[in-house]
Amino acid sequence: MTFLQQGMLAALPLIALPIIIHLINQRRFQTIQWAAMMFLLAAHRMARGYSRLRQYLILFFRMLAIAGLVIAVSRPLASGWLGLAAGGRADTTIVLLDRSPSTQQRGAGTTDSKLQTGRQQLVRTLQMLGSGRWVLIDSATRQAHELESPEALLNTPSANPASAPADLPMLLQAAHDYVRGNKVGRTEIWICSDLRENDWTPESGRWSTLRDAFLEFPQGVRFHLLAYPQPAPSNNSIRVTEVRRQETSDGAELAISFRIARSTDSDQKIIVPVQFEIEGARSVMNVEFGGSQAEVKDHRIPLERTKERGWGRISIPADANPADDDFYFVFDNPPPRRTIIVAEETASEKPLQLVAGITPDPSLTCQAEVVSLEQLPVVEWDQIALVLWQAPLPTGAAADLLRTFVDRGGQAVFLPSRNPNDDELFGIRWKTWVGGTDLIPIETWRSDEDLLGRTLSGAALPVGQLEIRQYCAMAGEYTPLALLRGGAPLLARVPTKKGGVYFWATTPAPRDSNLATNGVVLYAFVQRALGAGAAVLGKTRQLDAGNPNGENPSTWNAVTEGDQGLSTESVYHRGVYAADDRLLAVNRPLVEDEARILADARVAELFRGLDFARVDDQAGNLSSLIQEIWRAFMATMLLALILEAVLCLPKVVARPVGATA
Amino acid sequence: MFPDRQTRSFLDAAVLSRLAGVPLFARRPMQGNVSGRHASPHRGSSVEFAEYRKYVPGDDLRRLDWRAYGRSDRFYVKEFEADTNLRCCLVVDTSGSMGFGSKGITKIEYARQIAGSLSYLASEQGDAVGLGCVAKGMVQSLPPKRNAAHLRLVFDMLEQAQSKGETQLASVLHEIAETIRQRALVIILSDLFIEPELLSSCFQHLRFRHHDVAVFHLLDPLELEFKFRRPMRFLDMEGGPAIFAEPNDIADRYNKALQIYLDQLKKIVLESAIDYHRVCIDENYEQVLVRFLVGRAHTKGLR
Repeated sequence: MTFLQQGMLAALPLIALPIIIHLINQRRFQTIQWAAMMFLLAAHRMARGYSRLRQYLILFFRMLAIAGLVIAVSRPLASGWLGLAAGGRADTTIVLLDRSPSTQQRGAGTTDSKLQTGRQQLVRTLQMLGSGRWVLIDSATRQAHELESPEALLNTPSANPASAPADLPMLLQAAHDYVRGNKVGRTEIWICSDLRENDWTPESGRWSTLRDAFLEFPQGVRFHLLAYPQPAPSNNSIRVTEVRRQETSDGAELAISFRIARSTDSDQKIIVPVQFEIEGARSVMNVEFGGSQAEVKDHRIPLERTKERGWGRISIPADANPADDDFYFVFDNPPPRRTIIVAEETASEKPLQLVAGITPDPSLTCQAEVVSLEQLPVVEWDQIALVLWQAPLPTGAAADLLRTFVDRGGQAVFLPSRNPNDDELFGIRWKTWVGGTDLIPIETWRSDEDLLGRTLSGAALPVGQLEIRQYCAMAGEYTPLALLRGGAPLLARVPTKKGGVYFWATTPAPRDSNLATNGVVLYAFVQRALGAGAAVLGKTRQLDAGNPNGENPSTWNAVTEGDQGLSTESVYHRGVYAADDRLLAVNRPLVEDEARILADARVAELFRGLDFARVDDQAGNLSSLIQEIWRAFMATMLLALILEAVLCLPKVVARPVGATA
Repeated sequence: MFPDRQTRSFLDAAVLSRLAGVPLFARRPMQGNVSGRHASPHRGSSVEFAEYRKYVPGDDLRRLDWRAYGRSDRFYVKEFEADTNLRCCLVVDTSGSMGFGSKGITKIEYARQIAGSLSYLASEQGDAVGLGCVAKGMVQSLPPKRNAAHLRLVFDMLEQAQSKGETQLASVLHEIAETIRQRALVIILSDLFIEPELLSSCFQHLRFRHHDVAVFHLLDPLELEFKFRRPMRFLDMEGGPAIFAEPNDIADRYNKALQIYLDQLKKIVLESAIDYHRVCIDENYEQVLVRFLVGRAHTKGLR
């Protein structure tokens, strides 16, 4: 319970007043010499228990009346925010608003979403509590916006739904930066979220850092979590997994692969009408499925032969969460995947040329060209997707060309030179070759992500079957993706502004490894890198909301917009945007389709040591989180006074004792 | 009036002179040793005819009724009622509780006034007066005697009587019932703060011994009303434990206990045929004595 006039609680010790008066009264007794003791003794023996109980009850009701009065004038608030008891008016109230797609889930029997309900609850609550200043930090922009009043939460575009995921540690970091940067006084941080694991990333090491950082504030920071953890009872979501334009004998067609998932894992079959909209032309397809999800591969929709580039939208009927009921896509003729190979050894050059030149899909064109160092300046870099470099690390102009290429989003893979020198590129330098006699087994590799990740079918790449005979040690800061026994990296990744560059510690030459003869790992690796490099070359791109991936959102113009938003916030809202002559489709990221909710104990663990209170609400809840309940205490006081009066009423004397017989 | 002209604080000459007009009668025949105002169980020489009795040899010939002989030719002796004096035994409770008084007079002072007045009245009409002061036992006592000098001793003893100690009235009454010769007037002045069952046996014992028992039950108005405003600590005047009480809480139960006691006492009094007078000590003792004397005058002469 919290109190709006907390100072009045200082009067609470007055509750003891009846006891004090009682004790004083008892000390003011008179002493009298008394003759008729036999009647006093008899009176004492008579109904002693009731008399004492009555006395205690009178005292209790008097204390209750005072307590009721004091609490009533302190203006108590009824709420589940029991932790507010030590609250009071805050100097600054910061609202961390999770506006990720999952918060647009509606409650049962209501049209209000979690986000909408949360905003309304926050407005009502913050209005009642009051504060010196209100600041909103939303999950999409993570920018602090000062609000004139809590009501602004209902109107500001920064609190509207978005398609970008939330990152709670980053939000808290932004709040921490605001508190530190503005040197505010006592701060209340209100977090409104649906507790999705992907938004909270509870395993992140940032939480412990944040906890320590907040504990350092001398003014005290209080956290309130307004949680909406209820999962949707029946929600379907749709996601396009692949869109491909291909030529046919009749013209052209669009092959769309998509996946429908539902929140309940039931065997009951349902029919979902899926609507396709290709630049305004609509068609519907019914998908019947049981279980938790259905995947449709290469659903073909005819296109005009002249229509080489365009956008589309796939949608299912609105359900519990409208944010995952549609998905935007763009299509184009795939650009040729061009690779240049700089190699000092033919034994390495040939396998690389093969794996880069063989297309995995007949509709794609793959070209691999071997160039020398001297030819580098004349290469058409804006059409290159991948560079495979097996030579001493370049310096000077060649290195600059490669840096520009990587900064544009191109992919680069470096393999060690036979005679390593001290030159360094992207912070990595080759050292010396190790081994040469025995095979060096591979200890671990990252199969969960990046270029050695599992295949679409879930099978791991046979990295363990590679036979490494010798490798070249590397120096610098990198992230190992595969490690040899002894801890030396086989494959390392160095992050750059738009992705990263890769360093293999060995070459496909037979004296170094069996990368060439094994083939599978090298082919998958190179084709994946080639795909990533080609993705930035095409005229169309699929982007995750909140991650411009090198694009400049300020130049975007909305072709079609999924949810309402400012033009400056296009990157956070799903839809199709045009940037110059390119088309960009922005959608919710894949992690948003995961419906895992953070366990209560885990949430409490994240805020361990901090001043934290939590209340669970439901979407569509109309009752306010807190409300003034002084009337109840006033009524309690009156009731206590009445009961006290009843107990104090003198008993009716049955018959006065006469003076004579 | 006062043999030695000594002034007694508990005697008022005006009151005594007014009361002198109403004699003190016994409700039962008394056995005195001289002629007096009271009926005797024996035949005597008063002017009041009692009965005729056949002459038997040895009777005084002067008592033969010659008129009856003339009418019936038989010898009859004419007998008359005997008038005798009485032995008035005053029993004054001098226990600690008798020292209580909330209206400017204590119960023992009130008892002195009544006892003094009655002893004077009895003595004036030729009755023998005795006094017993009772507390834990018989504290002091004077046997009934009828001379004026004895009355002074009675007054002295009354004057010196102090309220002190516990009450053992019941045992003393039993003792009195046994020690006083039969057919005496026993007047008890006490607050009777003992169990009614004990009193009942005492009264029955006195009645069995043909005593005429009168009781002045002295109570203070505060004891009857029990009106206090503040918490009180009640100290037992007879040395018992003190009691702390909130009068407002306990008053109803006190009154209930008092009422039960008085009801029991009333029942005992009716069963024992005691001349019982409940006296609130704020009442004028003259009125109380008038009521007592007049009441007895109505019932005198029962033989």
